[in-house]
Amino acid sequence: MKNLKEDYFNPFFSHIYIEKQVWNHARTQRILAKFPSAEIIEINHYKDVFCRSRQSHPLQHRSQKLILAARQGTLLYEGAPVCQSFGSQYFYYVSCTMNCIFDCEYCYLKGMYPSANIVVFVNLEDIFAEVENVLETHPLYLCVSYDTDLLALEQIIGYVQEWCLFAAKHENLKIEIRTKCANKSFVQSAAPIPGVIYAFTLSPQAVIEAFEHHTPSLTERLSCAAKLIQSGCPVRLCFDPMIYMPDWRQHYQEMLDQVCHMVDLEKIVDVSVGTFRISQDYLKNMRRQEPDSAVIWFPFQREDGYCHYPNDLMEQMECFLTEQLAQKIPAEKIFRWKT
Amino acid sequence: MIYIFTALHCEAHIFIKQYKLIKNQEHTWFQEFYNETAGIRLVIAGVGEIAAAAAVSSICSLYRPARDDLLLNVGICAHATKNDGIFLGSKIIESATGKPFYPDMLYRHNFCEGTIVTGMLPWNGENPAPSQELYDMEAAAVYQAGIHFFGPHQMLFLKIVSDNGTAKEVSRERVAHLMEQYQNCIFDYIGRLAAITQTSCFHKNELHQAQEKLVETFCTDLHCSKAMRDSMQQSIRYLALSGIDYVSVIRKMYDQKLLPCKDKREGKLRFEEFKRRLF
Repeated sequence: MKNLKEDYFNPFFSHIYIEKQVWNHARTQRILAKFPSAEIIEINHYKDVFCRSRQSHPLQHRSQKLILAARQGTLLYEGAPVCQSFGSQYFYYVSCTMNCIFDCEYCYLKGMYPSANIVVFVNLEDIFAEVENVLETHPLYLCVSYDTDLLALEQIIGYVQEWCLFAAKHENLKIEIRTKCANKSFVQSAAPIPGVIYAFTLSPQAVIEAFEHHTPSLTERLSCAAKLIQSGCPVRLCFDPMIYMPDWRQHYQEMLDQVCHMVDLEKIVDVSVGTFRISQDYLKNMRRQEPDSAVIWFPFQREDGYCHYPNDLMEQMECFLTEQLAQKIPAEKIFRWKT
Repeated sequence: MIYIFTALHCEAHIFIKQYKLIKNQEHTWFQEFYNETAGIRLVIAGVGEIAAAAAVSSICSLYRPARDDLLLNVGICAHATKNDGIFLGSKIIESATGKPFYPDMLYRHNFCEGTIVTGMLPWNGENPAPSQELYDMEAAAVYQAGIHFFGPHQMLFLKIVSDNGTAKEVSRERVAHLMEQYQNCIFDYIGRLAAITQTSCFHKNELHQAQEKLVETFCTDLHCSKAMRDSMQQSIRYLALSGIDYVSVIRKMYDQKLLPCKDKREGKLRFEEFKRRLF
């Protein structure tokens, strides 16, 4: 039976806010064409909507709105200390879209952004130009789907395809497209590009059901990963963040069994392992927004402005997974997050 | 609770009648009507931005709206081209400063949506602006005062068109008549809003009184310091939200005569023991 309360909410992207300056941009018009019934609201700057005070993430997630804007100022960012660099010296990320259609309770975006609405920066060409500038001085490992899940938005904005075409033209550029999505139509037609790594974030089904709302099941994610591997695409598996729950050992063991059953581990690029950790300030914001979420109310250990599971639990969880993985994958392919 | 703010009594009378609102005789700064059972408090603020802002801040300072309460600003407005109609504001512009404000558009409704331009004087048809714009004298002020107490998802602006730049010709009787004309769809909307506030998802985390008492006794018997007590509350909150049966673990510790502790030092050891058993 449909939840009665769902009926009170407008459908997703019922309203689209558009900055005046991007009204006539080709990408704006292309995106708008997909939402002929949406109410269009003109805005001066995306922050007028996105950065309002006292917004509610949980409620906005029930009826997310789309904001189309132009990215200005900094376009490339150096990777944050809590992010895995996979041994790359020049580790950067871009934020061509902010926020995600998925609703993972533990997601740092809920602590980082004041809104749950999705901002799409339509001036991707400016970001490409900036990347090309940097590539003139050194190679780049670039995460393009950090503050969002680009593959989940592919049918609306088509940015993964654009990034793939861009990466194919630049040999010294390696991009990572991180996702929890199971976009079968994209996967079916994806052509292998050496500089494009598809990174699937995997969690036990119990974690998905409890905390990763509206995301595809573990089976669906693995099925897409397997298909991409079969097509010759570089695929990374991210067991990061590992989430604590009672009987975590059993849940993570079951997940690993399923991974081994569905994916040819010999053909993956690498794996990352790391338990949940987050900036103390983000966690504070998240707890204010979600007073009923068990996963973020765990009694974490605080250290240097970051919160993580107590050291012994963190060690147990990460060791368990890395030891299990080491039986199937060469050690140099396992990247365990270290502080 | 839904807080309704109108400028005039003739805009408020349909609500007073429909929800059987009682006049609050204790507070005389603004005309205030309420019905606790219906979950409605109505305030007649007076005309203009200053009156609206003063009323919102006064009433909200007094009653401290909760996170699932709503603010509804209802009233007449002018429209650039139309003579009637009812609109929900999706964007509000303060005429004097040009500042825009955006209430969240989360909930379904059957109204047209529009941009409300709030000015200090009634719009007289000069400076014609885009045809979809509505002109009132309160919305921007209600939003700006309201944002100190409500989130943008809690504020709604419903405007009924009374004229297209001929405010002087709009009598009280016409306003009352317009309100009556649209009252059914307004009441229907308020009914939906009331259902939203009543089925709020907030406050699930509150412990039962019995559990709270047990935790309090537990902390006392552990000789918890302030820091330990905070840490305990954090752990209990997590355990309760996760559905982990921490109560029987506490009871078992009492059965095993591990509690009460003789001093703070022993309390610390027992607290660690408690956490070991649960995590």
